[in-house]
Amino acid sequence: MAKSSEESPSRRTFMMVVIGLISSIIGVALAVPILGEVLSPLFKKRDIVWAELAKVDDLKKISPLTPKFVPVYFRVKEGWTVNTLPRQVIVVKDITGKLYFFSNQCTHLGCPLHWIAARQKFLCPCHGGMFNILGKVVGGPPPRPLYQWQHKIKNGTVLIQNKFIDNPKDRGI
Amino acid sequence: MLKKIQNWFDERIELTELIKEFNGERIPRRGGWAYTLGSLLAFLFTVQVVTGIFLLFYYVPYFPMARNATYFIKHHVLLGNILLGIHLWGAFTMIFFLLVHMARVYFSGAYKKPRELQWVAGMVLFTVVVILGLTGYMLVGNENSWWTINVLTNVASHTPIIGGFLRIVARGGTETSVLTMQHIFAVHVWLLPAAVMLFIPVHLFLIRKTGHQGMALEYNNSKLSDDDINKWKKPDATVPFFPDQFYKDMIVALCVFAVIYILAVVYSAPIGPMYRPLALNFAPEADWYFLANEELLKYFPGHGLIIFSTFLIPNIGFAILFALPFIDRGHERSPFKRPAATVLGILFLLLLVYLTLIGGEPKAPATV
Repeated sequence: MAKSSEESPSRRTFMMVVIGLISSIIGVALAVPILGEVLSPLFKKRDIVWAELAKVDDLKKISPLTPKFVPVYFRVKEGWTVNTLPRQVIVVKDITGKLYFFSNQCTHLGCPLHWIAARQKFLCPCHGGMFNILGKVVGGPPPRPLYQWQHKIKNGTVLIQNKFIDNPKDRGI
Repeated sequence: MLKKIQNWFDERIELTELIKEFNGERIPRRGGWAYTLGSLLAFLFTVQVVTGIFLLFYYVPYFPMARNATYFIKHHVLLGNILLGIHLWGAFTMIFFLLVHMARVYFSGAYKKPRELQWVAGMVLFTVVVILGLTGYMLVGNENSWWTINVLTNVASHTPIIGGFLRIVARGGTETSVLTMQHIFAVHVWLLPAAVMLFIPVHLFLIRKTGHQGMALEYNNSKLSDDDINKWKKPDATVPFFPDQFYKDMIVALCVFAVIYILAVVYSAPIGPMYRPLALNFAPEADWYFLANEELLKYFPGHGLIIFSTFLIPNIGFAILFALPFIDRGHERSPFKRPAATVLGILFLLLLVYLTLIGGEPKAPATV
């Protein structure tokens, strides 16, 4: 018969090591798949698609320095579904006729911007961030100018990608 | 007959002894009403669990549907408005009384040696309950929920180094999607309640282990000095937990529950509009207990300072609260004998109230 822990100190140490080992093995064996499950989104690539916005000629007709909010609809894979993500594109024409495609998300924490015509500014309703018509920060806490959508023109139609220019950390979206 | 049943149990598991052990705990006598707050919170948590479980009979954690499911519970389920209302007002009440409970413990110095661990366990419960409140707000699935999810995950993304990863893990992807709602749902109905159910017994066990040490006024007759650890072990007078203290607990529980119930019946839970991703004039609002933090976010502009409002100040604040018993190591308990702690506490509460009040003001001028 094996000695009890009270009879032999080395036996006691041995038992404690075995108990510790078994707990660690079971713990690690459970933790690995759980961690995998929780961290899984880190290993998925974002679904990046193009969506039609409008005809270039129509957009060229808007008056300069007046924002026009145009909805765009991205069909993207999200988890186990394919969803339509409606987003606002703020189209702005500057005095030289160049078109800008801004996102209407505040660059601070992502709230939807309001255009305050009387003050010629975009205002964030959450924490008071302010942007001018060309997306520069003119007040409040936003750390950077407005995001601009990745875009291209094909056969006279503006296509928008669900991706911002100059946004390495994929913030916003 | 009853005696027989009692004997049957006693012969096997000594049930009467066990109940005596639980109920006979000696509670300091003078501050009876102040000590009802902890029991009140346990009661409110039970109410949240019970109502929450039955709300699940109708709820769907899926973004476009969640708000309609909540609407259905309120308007088409028999008495669903009351059940939903109790869950909402119960949550608000719970957070409010948690703050009152914390303030009571702070001002009476009840976190001091040997009860440091109780304070830490209590802080864990406080943190978890606040997150439960926030996730509950997100689960309603209305317009505010959507923006709360976006804003809070963006706040998380400003954590140094791991911020970006945190946001992706919390959202279940780079964008707020069906998986985000599923994650929040699992956290709100399982993970965090399980944590609370684990830590309430820890909190209670620690109280029994260190003994009830009441407010300074329980020791007026004691001749020992404040530095003597033995002074705090012998209150002038005590009463048994059952029925003396429990009676007071029940009266307080009933009063608070009545208020919750009336609010639930009269106001139910405001559900708000469906999420309209293209809305141009929507101004998101946080719940009242988050307004102070919300206000903080306005003050730190630009790339360099943003981290103060999103990460440093809230986290350092929490760390100080967690470590309070290890920072304030004096033996004085009476709020009048430790003026610095008392004044700081009052100032902090005033600041919190001030930030909450200005944080609640409408922020966007009417769209023209």
